[in-house]
Amino acid sequence: MNPTEAIVEREVRVDARPETIFPFFTDPELMVRWMGNSAQADPRPGGVYRIDINGTYIARGEYVEVSPPDRVVFTWGWEGEGSIEPGASTVEVTLTPDGEETLVRLVHRDLPSEDSASAHGRGWEHYLKRLRVAGAGGDPGPDQGVVQTSAQAD
Amino acid sequence: MELVGSEELSAGEIATHFEITRPAVSQHLTVLKGAGLLSERRDGTRRLYRARPEGLAELRDFLEGFWTARLDQLKAAAEEAEAASKRGRK
Repeated sequence: MNPTEAIVEREVRVDARPETIFPFFTDPELMVRWMGNSAQADPRPGGVYRIDINGTYIARGEYVEVSPPDRVVFTWGWEGEGSIEPGASTVEVTLTPDGEETLVRLVHRDLPSEDSASAHGRGWEHYLKRLRVAGAGGDPGPDQGVVQTSAQAD
Repeated sequence: MELVGSEELSAGEIATHFEITRPAVSQHLTVLKGAGLLSERRDGTRRLYRARPEGLAELRDFLEGFWTARLDQLKAAAEEAEAASKRGRK
């Protein structure tokens, strides 16, 4: 794989059925058993996804696709940290049964890369726009992230 | 990031590219610096900024480690849940 490609792929083989594994991506009580301290989830397209990993790192995005028991896609970024804006990258999880086991494949794409300088430009514009509103004493409203904002641009 | 990809610029020079205040630009630069995506150098009273491409590789390394550790945890938690549901069905 091209090492500069802005993608992270990971797989794990789990001795459980997809039906058992799937809610670990959608049910806050189960999410905290492998992801963090606390979680909020509204598992439907456009629904919020927010996990406080360790008090410092807070991951936030929205569900894009929720197809139990084999596929869930959500956007992803860090609140306040800056390297990936909330909602700017995408995590795609597929659960493939293999005998008694399930292959869990996670692909985290649209990560910042040197090739995505223009995407960074969009990130800048998005945040600078928000800062401009906040700086003028206004409320920029809930942050919908870069991807959604560009899609809704009027 | 595009602006500082190939040359060093000061916060003031960066601000001229955006219709926002200097303090707002500085605030954003601080966030990017904290994330390791931007380097800062002092030249007299000026601070000069440049994109830090190795920050992106570090970010990917971080995420690879992060997801590897998380998926190990998922495996343990899901296998425990599966075992519990099998016991429940017996």
